[in-house]
Amino acid sequence: MRMLCAGVFLLWICGCSRESATSKKTAPSDGGSASGSMTLAMMPKSKGNAYFISCRKGAEEAAQELGVKLLWDGPTEPDPAKQNEVVETWITRGVDALAVAVENRGGLSTALRKAKARGIPIVTWDSDADPDSRLFLVNQATPQGIGQTLMDEAARILGSQGEFAIITASLTAANMNEWRREIEAHRQARYPGIKMAALRPCDDLKDKAFAEATAILNAHPQVKLLMAICSPAVPGASEAVKQSGRQDVKVVGLGLPNDNKRYVKEGITPAVILWNTADLGYLSVYAAIAAAKGSLKAGATRFQAGRLGELEVRGDQILLGKPFVFTRENIDQFDF
Amino acid sequence: MRTPLSGETGRHELVLMAFLAAELLLFSFTGRRFATAENGFEILRVSVEFGLLALVMTPVILTGGIDLSAGSLLGLCAIVLGKLWRDAGLDPGWASALALAAGAAGGLLNGVLIARLKLPPLIVTLGSFSLFRGLAEAITQGVDNFTGFPDSFLLLGQGYILGAIPAQVPIFLAVAAGLWLLVHRTPFGRSLRALGYSPEGARFAGLPVGRNLILVYVLSGAGAGLAAIIYVAHLGQAKADAGTGYELLAITAVVLGGASIFGGKGSVHGTLLGLAALAVLKNGIALSDRPSEWVGMATGALLLAVLSGEAMLKKMSARVPRSPTRDSTSMPSGSP
Repeated sequence: MRMLCAGVFLLWICGCSRESATSKKTAPSDGGSASGSMTLAMMPKSKGNAYFISCRKGAEEAAQELGVKLLWDGPTEPDPAKQNEVVETWITRGVDALAVAVENRGGLSTALRKAKARGIPIVTWDSDADPDSRLFLVNQATPQGIGQTLMDEAARILGSQGEFAIITASLTAANMNEWRREIEAHRQARYPGIKMAALRPCDDLKDKAFAEATAILNAHPQVKLLMAICSPAVPGASEAVKQSGRQDVKVVGLGLPNDNKRYVKEGITPAVILWNTADLGYLSVYAAIAAAKGSLKAGATRFQAGRLGELEVRGDQILLGKPFVFTRENIDQFDF
Repeated sequence: MRTPLSGETGRHELVLMAFLAAELLLFSFTGRRFATAENGFEILRVSVEFGLLALVMTPVILTGGIDLSAGSLLGLCAIVLGKLWRDAGLDPGWASALALAAGAAGGLLNGVLIARLKLPPLIVTLGSFSLFRGLAEAITQGVDNFTGFPDSFLLLGQGYILGAIPAQVPIFLAVAAGLWLLVHRTPFGRSLRALGYSPEGARFAGLPVGRNLILVYVLSGAGAGLAAIIYVAHLGQAKADAGTGYELLAITAVVLGGASIFGGKGSVHGTLLGLAALAVLKNGIALSDRPSEWVGMATGALLLAVLSGEAMLKKMSARVPRSPTRDSTSMPSGSP
């Protein structure tokens, strides 16, 4: 018994000395600083979510182009504690860069600060941590980009004249209000012939969006377009239009391709707007590796990201660019 | 009783140590920076929360009971801490003390129902498993997340003593040492084993069975409270899903450590070994760049392998006629 105890302990010590011998040789670089052997650790909010699975495709593509090793791990279901644990392990392991989609700011920012203190460059993507805990946020869409694209699509469907109605999640949600302001600003500037006839909240519920859409169709028969700016409202409004039998009313909105595929193919919803998730993963890898190589530094204004070309850096945010429009032609290429 | 590393327990620990040694050996080759002192502390650091649950679960299982509510109670205590600190404006120290008290109270509820009403522990704690988690969710409406704790409090879960030893590690070691003395060196500890072997016998022997049973569950609850405080300080957040599934990990560690789920058999040092085997496995898989799904598989395989390894050794030693069976005192072991 004693022997075995001692044996286990000895083994540990041996390992320690072996490790410290090898790490001295390679010190101070963490995983080899030549880009060929760089290791990037990347974390989604949850691995099981189809949205993040599609981000991963782009990330793998970029990692291959850059010749870096991509570690992709995270919780199977959104779980801040698990995210924390994975980041802590990566800190111990030593990686050249971190790219993290943050489930919960409070939970993860401290772990990221620790990584930062060890000199690991960090970008956040999809959703941000406390700004002081990372170098850049890869921002998939600005309110301006979302508002303008929605309004442009609306104008494309309506022509230069007509009325539309907006279904939002709630009248108080900060992000929704920001999008609405951008929609309104763009309408005034570019499409003065188009009018907004109604604005209704749906509490982020598909049923409620269905009911509100039906009410709008009845109360405002002149409305020819419903614009749904929260994701459950897009299929909700589309279903309402479908059941009303009105061929002259269309829907656009901000939502997920899979929720809306049916309606897009039936022609009720000509355009669904979001960002290209594969591009988001691709850009995040490029940004993290550039930060690790030192070619992307705080204060940069432009960033060259492989096949995406040159992108704008605004403050500490790298912008993916204009949102992506899913239409009947391209929606089958996306599965999330 | 004076030599805990003997007989059946000794054999089990031998098997477990062999597995632990194999893990250490394997991972010091496959894992990056696995065999370093820093990683040793890191393994300890991230295991403290479920380790505390496993420690206090040991006396519960010794009595032939089980506490399925431990993880839920951790969640509830975390919420109590967060709520008292943020909404009641209490100092984090006081909020922690009350969270600890809430844990003990939760344990008291379990204990009273089990000891006084003679309800089966499995059923009682299955009920409180839902009750405690439900309460935590009700208090936060499932969405509220307490963050922004003062740095002085976060030090408990994120700080390092002398720049190397994680702050929570001495707490864990103190609890482990105290519990070892309590279980292996006091009449109270002996009474728990007696209770596990035969509750009726213990009662006839004049042991305060009811009182001791209640104490064991109060201890388990207080352990969950302490784990909650460290969890909140470690992650910097308190959310209703804190500690989900930790009870099963804790039970796994105890059983892996050689405890009989029927009571009467088990030890605190066995649990510590079981904990080490689980924690090293998890850490080693991550540092070998394997996805975290592997951990679940490997944990299950390890438990089954250790149990069957021991069963085979037992069979072999039973076949040797000259060696007197040292396990004659063991419980009828519910073998299939």
